Order: sequence, then C-alpha cells, then structure tokens
Amino acid sequence: MDFTIIAETNGDSLHPTTYQLIGAAASMGSNSTVICPNGVGSLEAAKINGVEKVISATGDCFNIFDGGAWASALSSMCGEMILISASPNGREIGSRIAAKKGIPIIQDVVSMTEGITVSRPIYSGKAMESLTISGSAVVTLRPNAFEAALAENDAPINVVNQSADVRIAIQEAINKASERLDVTEADIIISGGRGMGTIENFSHLEEIADTVGAAVGASRAVVDEWGMPHRMQVGQTGKTVTPSLYIAVGISGAIQHLAGMRSSKYILAINKDPDAPIFGVADYGIVATWEDAIPALKSALSDLQS
Amino acid sequence: MNIAVLLKQVPDTTAKITISEGKVDEKSVSKWSMSPYDEYALESGLQLKEATGGNLIAITCGPERAKKMLTDTAAVGADTLVHIPDDGVSDSTHVQKLLAAAVKKFDSHVVLCGKQAADTNGGSTGPGVAELLDAACVTLVSEVNFSEGSFTTIRPSNSGTEKVIVDGLSVFAFDKGSSELRRPNVRGIMMAKKKPVESVTSSDLGVNLNPSNVKMNSQNPPPEKPAGQKFEGAEYVNEVVSKLRNEANVI
Amino acid sequence: MAYEALDFYDVDSLLTEEERMVRDMVRDWVDEEVIPNIEIACRDGVFPDEWRVALGEMGVLGAPLKGYDCPGLSYTAYGVICRELERGDSGLRSFASVQGSLAMYPIWDFGSEEQKNYYLPKMASGEWIGCFGLTEPDYGSNPGDMITKAEDMGDHYLLNGAKMWITNGSIAELAVVWAKLDGVIRGFIVEKNDPGFSAPEMKGKHSLKASVTSELVFQDCKIPKDRMLPGVKGLRGPFSCLNNARYGISWGALGSAQACFDSAKEYAMSRIQFNHPIASYQLVQNKLSWMLREITKGQLLAYHLGQKKDAGNWIPEHISLAKMNNVDIALEIARVARDIHGANGILDEYPIMRHMANLESVKTYEGTHDIHNLIIGRHITGIQAFTREA
Ligand SMILES: Cc1cc2nc3c(=O)[nH]c(=O)nc-3n(C[C@H](O)[C@H](O)[C@H](O)COP(=O)(O)OP(=O)(O)OC[C@H]3O[C@@H](n4cnc5c(N)ncnc54)[C@H](O)[C@@H]3O)c2cc1C
Ligand SMILES: Cc1cc2nc3c(=O)[nH]c(=O)nc-3n(C[C@H](O)[C@H](O)[C@H](O)COP(=O)(O)OP(=O)(O)OC[C@H]3O[C@@H](n4cnc5c(N)ncnc54)[C@H](O)[C@@H]3O)c2cc1C
Repeated sequence: MDFTIIAETNGDSLHPTTYQLIGAAASMGSNSTVICPNGVGSLEAAKINGVEKVISATGDCFNIFDGGAWASALSSMCGEMILISASPNGREIGSRIAAKKGIPIIQDVVSMTEGITVSRPIYSGKAMESLTISGSAVVTLRPNAFEAALAENDAPINVVNQSADVRIAIQEAINKASERLDVTEADIIISGGRGMGTIENFSHLEEIADTVGAAVGASRAVVDEWGMPHRMQVGQTGKTVTPSLYIAVGISGAIQHLAGMRSSKYILAINKDPDAPIFGVADYGIVATWEDAIPALKSALSDLQS
Repeated sequence: MNIAVLLKQVPDTTAKITISEGKVDEKSVSKWSMSPYDEYALESGLQLKEATGGNLIAITCGPERAKKMLTDTAAVGADTLVHIPDDGVSDSTHVQKLLAAAVKKFDSHVVLCGKQAADTNGGSTGPGVAELLDAACVTLVSEVNFSEGSFTTIRPSNSGTEKVIVDGLSVFAFDKGSSELRRPNVRGIMMAKKKPVESVTSSDLGVNLNPSNVKMNSQNPPPEKPAGQKFEGAEYVNEVVSKLRNEANVI
Repeated sequence: MAYEALDFYDVDSLLTEEERMVRDMVRDWVDEEVIPNIEIACRDGVFPDEWRVALGEMGVLGAPLKGYDCPGLSYTAYGVICRELERGDSGLRSFASVQGSLAMYPIWDFGSEEQKNYYLPKMASGEWIGCFGLTEPDYGSNPGDMITKAEDMGDHYLLNGAKMWITNGSIAELAVVWAKLDGVIRGFIVEKNDPGFSAPEMKGKHSLKASVTSELVFQDCKIPKDRMLPGVKGLRGPFSCLNNARYGISWGALGSAQACFDSAKEYAMSRIQFNHPIASYQLVQNKLSWMLREITKGQLLAYHLGQKKDAGNWIPEHISLAKMNNVDIALEIARVARDIHGANGILDEYPIMRHMANLESVKTYEGTHDIHNLIIGRHITGIQAFTREA
C-alpha cells in the first residue's frame, strides 16, 4: 500500500509530527510520498527516511488557510492511503479530501498495524475503538503517538503548481497575547499550593503555563490565605477539573483537593515530602523542592516546544 | 435566511462509559446530552435567526433517542426539527452525505455545527459536509455574524484571532463560542411539545449508503495506566518529562 | 456538569416529555446559579433578587395555574419544580411555594375577573411578589381563632391586627391576608403602600436564612372595597391554598434529601479512616442504604400523589401523609448525613447543616408534622383530636 503524507508545518519548517507520520508509514513497511503545502519544508522532508518522493505543492491558494481550497489543490496528488496529522488544520483538510474522493476518514488514530487495523480513543479516551480499513481512506494520526522517522535520506523533490479557489478572506487580524485558559477548559493545569511559599512565586508556574498553553490552579490554602482568586481553586469547594495532565506543585494532597482533580488523566506531583498524600494519586512523582524542580521542568518543556 | 444547525446527541461528558462484549454499552449510558460544541453552534444560530429574521433548522442523524434533543432545541427557538435515522450508517461518508442532502432539502443558506462531537472527537462532519455542498468552511470559530450579504466569523490565528469573511453557502464549525446556549423557559417548552419532528430517511434524501470499507472490530476499555512512579530528586525531571511525552502522551 | 439525581426506581421515567424538560431547565439553573451562591445568600440573610427575575423568566411561578399568563403546567410538573428548587435550598422553594400556591392561587381561584387580570400576569412574570398572611403571633396551628379583623366602612375596608412568620412579607408588592369580617374569615389583597400597613422583617433565623420572613402589621389599614376575594368564605380559603403548597413541599423535601444523600455518599467514599474509606464500613453502608430506601419510597409517594392531583381524585389527607412523611424522612436523612460528614458536617462548605436547619422550618410550617398526624388520625377514626372542645 502506498501512503501519501500531507506534511504538517510550523512556520517555515516541518512540524515534528511530520516525522511521526512518515515513521508510522515506514512501520507498515511502506515508503511514502510527502506533500509539502506551499513547498514548506520540502528540502527537510526529502531527508527523512522512508520518503520516496516529495511533492512541493505551490500555488496562490496556500497563502491563507482555507481547508476547502487546500484540499482541492492537493487531493489529485494523493494516493490511496492518506496520512495527516490530527491537528485542527490536518483534520479539516483530511475531511475535505475524504469527502471529495468519497472515502472514509478516521481521525485521531493512535496505533496502526498491518491489515490495515487502526485504533483510536473515543468518548474522550474513556474507550478505545479498533477498526479495519480495506481500500482507500484518510487517516489522521494523533501527534506524539508514533515513533518519528530519522533523517538520513535524499529523496527527489517534484514541484507541482496547483492552485484552487479560495473562498474566504481575512478581514482583520486581531493580535492578542494568548489569554491563559481557565482551569475548567485547559488540557494541562499546573497548580501550586502552600509549598510555593509566597503568591509571588506563582510567576514560575505561570511561565511554565505559558510555554505549554496550560492553566494555573491553586489549592485552597493559597486562595484563602494569600488571596489568590477563587476561580483558580481546585477541589471540593473549588473547580472540579479533568485535564489530560495535572501538575501539583507544593500541594500536600488533602482529600478536599483530590476531590477536584483525581479524575485527571495523568497527575504529576512535585513535593519535597516523600510521604505527602498527593503521591498516592500521582502517576509521576518527583520528590524535590519546587525551587529545584521547576527550573528544570521549565527548560525541559520549552525544549520540547521548540 | 434558513440556518441549518447540525447536532449530535452523545453520552453526557460526565457519564460513565461501560463496555460489554467488545462494544460500548449504550444502554448503560445514564444521560445523553447535546454535544457541547454543538450548543455553541445552536446559540449562534439562534442569534443569527434573531438578527436576520430567519428560520432555524435543527438536524440530527442518529437513533430514535436523538429526537428528544431536537425537541429540546425547539424549546429554545428552533423552527424545524429534522431527524435522520442512522440505520445503515457506518462511516463518516454516510453521515456527511445524509446531512448534506438534508441541508439542501431544507434550502439552507448557512450551516453551523460543532468542531467535533464529544463521542468520536473526529471533526470530520463540518468540513466533509462543506465539501459535498461545494461550500466554504471555517473551523474553530467562536461567533458568526451576517452583514451586507456576507458572513463574518472569528477563528484562531498564530498571533491571536482573525476575522474571516465568507460569501455564499458556508459551513462554520464551532469551538467554544462567545455565548453559552440560552436557557429555555416554560413557554418555549410548551411550544416545543407541539412541534413535530420530521423524520427523513436516506431514501427520502436520495442517498445511497454504499457498503463501507471500514469495519469496526471492537471497542475496549482504555489501556490500564501503569502504577504510579516516584523519583527522588530534581535530577529526574527530564526523565519524567520524556515519560509524559512518550508513555502518557500528554505533552 | 449535569446533575444526575438518585432515582433508584426510575420514577422520573414516568414523567412526560414536557415535565422532563421543565425539570432539566430548573435543575441546570439551580446548579449554575443557586448552588454556587446559596451560602453567601444565607450568610447575608437575603433572597437574591436575580432569583426572582430568573424564576419569572423561566416561567415557573404559579406553575399549575392556567390562563392569565400563568404557566399552565401539570401538578406533577409543579412538584418536580419544587424538588429541583429545594435541592438548591428550601428558602428558594419557599419563595416559589408562597408566590404560586399561597398568593397567586387564591387570586386565581377566589378572585374577581378584574383581580385576576390585574395581578396574575405580573405575578407569573415575577415582577410582583406576593405573600400570604394567615399565622398570627397567638394563632399558629389554630388559625380559625385568628383575631385580625376587617370592618366594612361603606366605601372601604379597615384592617386591624398582625400576622407573623410571613414568608416574602418585606419584599412583597402585595399580601393575601386572611381576616375576619363580621366573624367570618375572608381573604383581602393588601398592597405594599396601603395606608396603615407595614411589613417589618423578622431577623435572627437559624433556618431558611435565604428566605425573607416578616411580620405584617395592620393599624387602621385602609383598603378599597374591590380588594376582597369574592369567591370564598371561612377556613376553606386558606386551607385550599395550603393544600397546594403542602403538595409542593412533599416533592420539595425530596430535593433536600437528595442533596444530603449526594454529599454523604461522596464524602463516605472519599473519607479514609482506619485505612479505608468509611463507605466500606457496614454501619455507614447501612446509613446510606436507609437513605436510599426512604428517598425511593418518598419519590413514589410524591409521584403518585402528583398523578392524583392531576386526575383530581385526591383528598387533603393524601397530601397530609406525603408532606408529613417526606419532610420527616428528609430531616432525618439530613441528620444522618451530618453524622456521616463528621466534623466537616457542621461547616457551610457542605450543604448538610443548611438543609437540616431549613427542614426544621419545613417540618413546622404548612401544618406541623403532628397536625398532619391529627388530620390523618381524624380520617382513620372519625374523631377530631385537635381540641378538647367541640
Ligand atoms: C470543607 C473543606 C473544603 C475544602 N475545600 C478545598 C478545596 O476545594 N481545594 C483545596 O485545595 N483545599 C480544600 N480544603 C482544604 C484542604 O483540606 C487543605 O487544607 C488544602 O488543600 C491544603 O493546601 P496545600 O496542599 O496547598 O497546603 P499544605 O497542606 O500545607 O501542603 C503544602 C505542601 O507543600 C509541600 N512543600 C512545602 N515546601 C515545599 C517546597 N519548597 N517545594 C515543594 N513542596 C513543598 C509540603 O510538603 C506540603 O505537602 C478544604 C477543606 C475543608 C475542611
Ligand atoms: C420560616 C417560616 C415561614 C413561615 N411562613 C408563613 C407564611 O408565609 N404565612 C403564614 O401564614 N405562616 C407562615 N409560617 C407559620 C407557620 O405556618 C406556623 O408556624 C405553623 O402553622 C405552626 O404554628 P406555630 O408556630 O404557632 O406553632 P404552634 O401551633 O404553637 O405549635 C407548637 C407545637 O404544638 C403542637 N401542637 C399544636 N396544636 C396541637 C394539638 N392540637 N395537638 C397536638 N400538638 C399540637 C405543634 O405540632 C407544634 O409541635 C411560617 C413559619 C416559619 C417557621
């Protein structure tokens, strides 16, 4: 089976998930054709193992994101099995290509084996579904769920000029510093407790929150005693949250706090006391002071982002 | 203006999902609700209806139980309720064809839906329906307005948000919107009770549900999380971060 | 996050589609607007005006009354509304009971056409609040002997006397006041600004703190002739109102009971003592199982009574039984729930102590527990035991 991969890009270069898309195809024993919209990252793509050919797709329509136009321009370049990142744009382009070709799309796949059998989380991860595809399909892959391919290759690059009608226009760009999310809507929350020492020290948590797009939460001790806004309080008398990742820093893990966050998918606790009850619910625990752990966490996370 | 809103009934996000014999047991779902992003689409549709004096058509493709959700939408102001039974529907192409055909049948000028439904979390419906209708589509929007013959909408951009303008038949897929779905009132509920739900089948819509090339093998509980791991000392931070990425897949 | 009620026998599945929709509407509102704010309202001893507005907007005031812009819902729907409101707080439900069953209902049933057209639309929309003055300082369970009196002065009536324990009194635009005219109990509509009328608030309640309770004082209070309710004489007037309010309470108390059960269950599951959740101990399970048992029985009682109210084949004794039973079990459930919460149970972080204190009032008003016993006792034996005379 031939795989066509539509590269995910990030500014002027490939997004790390493109390596994963190619790695996923390679793990199925297939070489792939990688399409780079607007030509972005085509030189880089040509170097990735498992890439047979790169199509540098150029055209005026790529100057603005219109999923419909992009799909029109790209779909004739695609083969039978199409892999795209399950990013918002990837999902949109994939859906339109699938609908154009009259083939199904399977979104947010986290594993893929011969057959082709794929699995994906459903009901927000409360269950997994396994599907077998026979014939053409578009499959979007969840970022970071697949091994990335290495880059030691030198594949040919074809430039294909293919534009399409753009039907949307940008009237106005509204620049704003991305607002920090509310604890009830964030996928990652970093909360601090009395162990942070002072309310001023929360700036360290805010910096981390801003690098990963997380919300900042607090234990009640911090809200009651240091005047942190109540909307940030997690727990029985605060907000009940279920993020993918909850990071508790300097929080002991009182039952009332646990009541608000124990259903988080993953919990990382940082606390200097190895016996703190928070470790009882943590998937990952680091016994350390925040003064030691937070700078390291910050640099590790910002390394990941870049 | 005819405003079509595509809605899906899903297990309430707080409901427990249980699996029996390799399939999610729908009977054990304690509460079914409108998918959360669809609520924003509906509210925006109601506002568009009020602003333009239009007609709101609530459309769902789903089993019999989904009719209740349509009646709920009538209580807040939906004018026409359309239920497409999901018999024989087995993949994304089927749903999209049915919805697109219904949008056409009811002469809609604009289509609003959620960016993804809270069960499959796919996000294929809005863009897919747009493709079949040969319409423009903007996803992840937070509001939609109509003025001087065009729709304007707000979507995220790299530097914040951007105001996008679209003409003609368009599909808008909502992320969290700028206003929450309004509360019904008793008067609306009394009217909703009298409002019929039109059932429109695939043959009424002239849609042929060809056999799918996707087969569902099984649904299973999520893999067990590994037992908690504890590390003594800040020097393990990097290791934990890489576990968060590779084991837990959360960053 | 949507509230999932304890409904062990799926009693709510018997509701009509309309009743279910009304339930969900009120339930969501209570979760979003009432529960997060109730403790502050109680601490401040105020009934938040936004709640009056919201109840009017939802259109639930005077739920079972038809015409005159009233909702026209079933009695079952009215019961469900009371239950959902009281899961928030009994004071909130009291507000709605008084407005609908005690102030709107007598105008609707016994008022003149002009009175109905004038008052009911404004009361259904929540614009005007009403109160109900029956109880007096010296006449509670025995209202028949009331001393507030009305005199016919030719072109107006003159009221003299005082009422006490009057819910909504100080925030009401109008009061339905029961007073004796030539020795016969009659209903009068008194408006806030009528000369000689005042409604000072009673302070210091340890119960129903978010509900306003007042005295109504009439000192040569002069009201126009067209303010008397023409359609009823004697105790039947106030008692018909009370039947409806008591019916609502029989559902309402289940709301409080559920709130207490929910909190107790949650607490018992998460509180660890002697290395295990206290919910894993038999004594605690026995308590939870008893709560579920009584709530389920209460639900069946309330639902069936609702059906009888809607079919019109009920007698006041049916209502007495349900009011007495459901308030009784709710109060006991609140006490047991308080026990399960240990010391935490006394904090206003948990709804328990508030419901428990509220229910003490609910047990007393609308006919005390024992007065209902006496009503049923009379039904069984044919012998009235209220008084030694007669
Ligand atoms: C009815 C009721 C409701 C409540 N509701 C809530 C609620 O909604 N939410 C809530 O959070 N609490 C709630 N509480 C309070 C709760 O019981 C705890 O008191 C509170 O959560 C403690 O906050 P904490 O963990 O920040 O503080 P502490 O318990 O004081 O813990 C501080 C932790 O920081 C660690 N630490 C200290 N210094 C450092 C350092 N330099 N680096 C790393 N770690 C350090 C310590 O080892 C300790 O574990 C409620 C209590 C009651 C009675
Ligand atoms: C918060 C609150 C709000 C209220 N709102 C209103 C309102 O809006 N309008 C209104 O008119 N009233 C209202 N009431 C008053 C309420 O209806 C009366 O309190 C109730 O009827 C009982 O009267 P009482 O308090 O005078 O008690 P009493 O009648 O003095 O009773 C005291 C005790 O004696 C018992 N008892 C009395 N008679 C007998 C008997 N014959 N045999 C055996 N036992 C007997 C009772 O059961 C009770 O245990 C309210 C009360 C409260 C607490």
